[in-house]
Amino acid sequence: MMRKSGARGLAVGLAVLVATVTACTSSPKADPPPKQSDAPAPTAQAGVLRVLAGSELQDMAPVLEEAQKATGVTVQFAWTGSLDGADAVSSGKTDGKYDAIWFPSNQYLHLDDGSRSKLLSETPVMTSPVAFGVRSSVLADLAWGDGAKVTWGNLAEAAASGKLRYGMADPSRSNSGFSALVAVASAFSGASAALTGADVQKATPSLKQFFTGQKLTSGSSGWLTQAYSRAEQGSVGALVNYESVLLSLNKTLPADQQLTVVRPTDGVVTANYPLTLLSSSSEREREAFGRLAAYLLKDDVQKRISELTLRRPIGAGVAPAAGLPTDRRHELPFPGTRAVADGLLSSYQNELRRPSRTVYVLDTSGSMAGPRLASLKSAMGRLTGADDTRGVRRFRDREEVTLISFASKVKSTKTHAVPSGAAAQQELASINADVQALSSDGGTAVYSSLQEAYRVIQRQQAAAGDDRFTSIVLMSDGESNEGATDKDFRSFHGGLPAAQKSVPVFPILFGDAAKGQLQGIADLTGGKLFDGTGSLDGAFEEIRGYQ
Amino acid sequence: MKRAFGVLAALLLLGGVAFALLKEPRGDDKEPETVTVNGLIGSEKREFFEDGDVKAELARQGLAVKVVSAGSWQMGDNLDNMDFAFPASQPPADAIRANKKITETAIRPFYSPLVIMAHAQTARVLADNGLASQDQASGVWTFTMDEYLNAVRTGRKWDQLKGDKPGDLAGDVYLTTTDPTTSSSGAMYVALLSFLENGHQPVADAAGVEKTKGLLHTAITKQGALKKSTDEPFADFLSNGGGALVLAYESQAAELVVKQKAPEDLVVLYPDTTVYSDHTVVGLTGNGRKLAGQLNGNEKLRQLAAKYGFRPQGDTNAFGQQLKSASGSFKLAPNLGAAKVKQAPIPVPDILQKLIDGATKG
Repeated sequence: MMRKSGARGLAVGLAVLVATVTACTSSPKADPPPKQSDAPAPTAQAGVLRVLAGSELQDMAPVLEEAQKATGVTVQFAWTGSLDGADAVSSGKTDGKYDAIWFPSNQYLHLDDGSRSKLLSETPVMTSPVAFGVRSSVLADLAWGDGAKVTWGNLAEAAASGKLRYGMADPSRSNSGFSALVAVASAFSGASAALTGADVQKATPSLKQFFTGQKLTSGSSGWLTQAYSRAEQGSVGALVNYESVLLSLNKTLPADQQLTVVRPTDGVVTANYPLTLLSSSSEREREAFGRLAAYLLKDDVQKRISELTLRRPIGAGVAPAAGLPTDRRHELPFPGTRAVADGLLSSYQNELRRPSRTVYVLDTSGSMAGPRLASLKSAMGRLTGADDTRGVRRFRDREEVTLISFASKVKSTKTHAVPSGAAAQQELASINADVQALSSDGGTAVYSSLQEAYRVIQRQQAAAGDDRFTSIVLMSDGESNEGATDKDFRSFHGGLPAAQKSVPVFPILFGDAAKGQLQGIADLTGGKLFDGTGSLDGAFEEIRGYQ
Repeated sequence: MKRAFGVLAALLLLGGVAFALLKEPRGDDKEPETVTVNGLIGSEKREFFEDGDVKAELARQGLAVKVVSAGSWQMGDNLDNMDFAFPASQPPADAIRANKKITETAIRPFYSPLVIMAHAQTARVLADNGLASQDQASGVWTFTMDEYLNAVRTGRKWDQLKGDKPGDLAGDVYLTTTDPTTSSSGAMYVALLSFLENGHQPVADAAGVEKTKGLLHTAITKQGALKKSTDEPFADFLSNGGGALVLAYESQAAELVVKQKAPEDLVVLYPDTTVYSDHTVVGLTGNGRKLAGQLNGNEKLRQLAAKYGFRPQGDTNAFGQQLKSASGSFKLAPNLGAAKVKQAPIPVPDILQKLIDGATKG
């Protein structure tokens, strides 16, 4: 089950961005080295290493360009999330398609017995601990000085009191989110060694408090950063991410948004970015891998990496770039079994985090008839399945899900509250029944239907008086041709009170949808456009990381 | 195995043409009699094989060696097209030899005892609490294994130890090791603990496995997820992260001394009973066997191995000579006998496997 999900996540990642490093930074070439192309076939002389990687590694492009000149090895990247990447390797999806993988950590992947025969050689290239970036004003407000003495307990207390509102990536997808979850669970359980299931139970009350402060969630660290910058002044005061990302972010943030990096004194989880050769690679690529790995470990290259990316150099002999603190932290052990790791993720999704309010605005116009509607039903139906051990997909316990079906106007609005525990199953089945009952006819009134979605959220918020992660997913296969216009919607959105205005719309491109319209909606509302033309299942699943 | 064949078949189909193109220019720019030798090595020997002098000496002998580093216990599954395998200890080499029906005597060109890396402040805390001591005359540190076993058994925590403790010492006292199912040093750790827990007797039967596996399981599972090869925990440690006490090969520390790259506050502790890791090369083809012979018998290569911190079997002085010519902030013990470091024997492969199963699965 997880394997399927990994494959889909991967497909989406590939559709979004496949690029060669050298192609990104093309410059006039005097004597072109062996062919640089994104075609998978390498030339005889220059090795091309096909690497499935975490998008965090995009900042290595200049180093890899230099590596190409020095070693003749061209790195060809495809991007995906750390845990989705682990699924892809375990399930064999990377066999023969990639020569290597490169993620912040292989720890989750190592927990899968199936991975043992898949990974041949691992070379850690650099390190960065997962840390809290706290805005100076918040730091002052909490009287935390320079942040050097802050513990996870301090962070939880500040979160529970409402003084610390932070963004963190979805731990079921992202290594930074997962590392933070492991660290905080270790700290609160008092575990003095690797976490057990009992430790997680013990830490649950404190973890719930800690996560009341999580105001932003994201399937990717890139979007998290944007959302932080965009958030209304003071509404989000901190970000969980790698130390290197936080420090690099400061280079682009205005003075009042600058982040102080807090590495809690009771321990951190550190990523060591192992460049990893897959067993399925061939002799020639193994050799290319060896040359690249040796190059990356050279002292001058390590120095360059640290200065460029603000990660810490690996090994001895090279000092970290200026600004990286050198006092040590306890390294918290990562869970040693998949059962503990997945149990922790499942608790996070269904019990620990703030619940979500999720509104789907689904186009069921005449053009959706046939395979398109069938795809939609399948993609939505998958979100109601129970076969999802680490919570990447299914509607979570405590989630409020509203389905708005529209064509020329809104046809139906159905809201489901998923209960906790065993009772969840029945409600999930009921959501699925509503999905399967959708039928297609009529025109396409995208903007009017979106306005209705915001009004639904307004009513729900007023009735419940609660505090949830709230978002709208918009799936349309055509251009808006009835009802409100783009201009009407802008003016409507401009007039919304803060509680609704901050709700992002995640549009999904499908069929003959008007990309410009959908992108405009994403930009206006602080959402993100997803491409469902390759795999609608994949797009619906990927958006779960943002809900 | 089936899967491995499938993958190989696919690669052969895809790569066949490119392969043919590759082979030719390769041969042209080298001396005609040079042969390419492909092998899998333990990650701790990668720098040795990348050394320019090593390459030059091998080239003089007509060998161009291409290596991929892998966990010692992962090698057996990845031997297609390989001329040799060079794991960090004898048991995985024996397993490969048995599997490939190789009957010639094992060639063990060099060895290295297992040691523990710590920061100086950590070593002082250990000393204050009876877990380590420093010989005043030689400056060599030893780690008190029986007391360590007690600490593991009782779940002793750093904050229960007396002394001035730096912030990175938290949680249980334990050694950070590699995964014993993939890596030699992790497997050697299991072997060492089993010997000590069995009353300083090698475990030789199922009863011994039963008797010791509880402690082994505790020592391994407390670490949570384990790194797969020996250079990883060591690299993490040198990057000022990772564990507070990291099990490593002496060669890894000695190499830093020789290269004058050892961090100022690094301390190497010799377990008072340790395991010697015999780096064992298995020739799988004629060329692989030729390389094995060179590694063992070539004086120049032995000297170079010592430069990378290994102790050549055939030259007991080489290691000490290298250290003499280099300066380091910490003390190594060229003469292990004089430092009173005892050696624990390694159980036979079958028993070792059962101990590893017990350590990882309980």
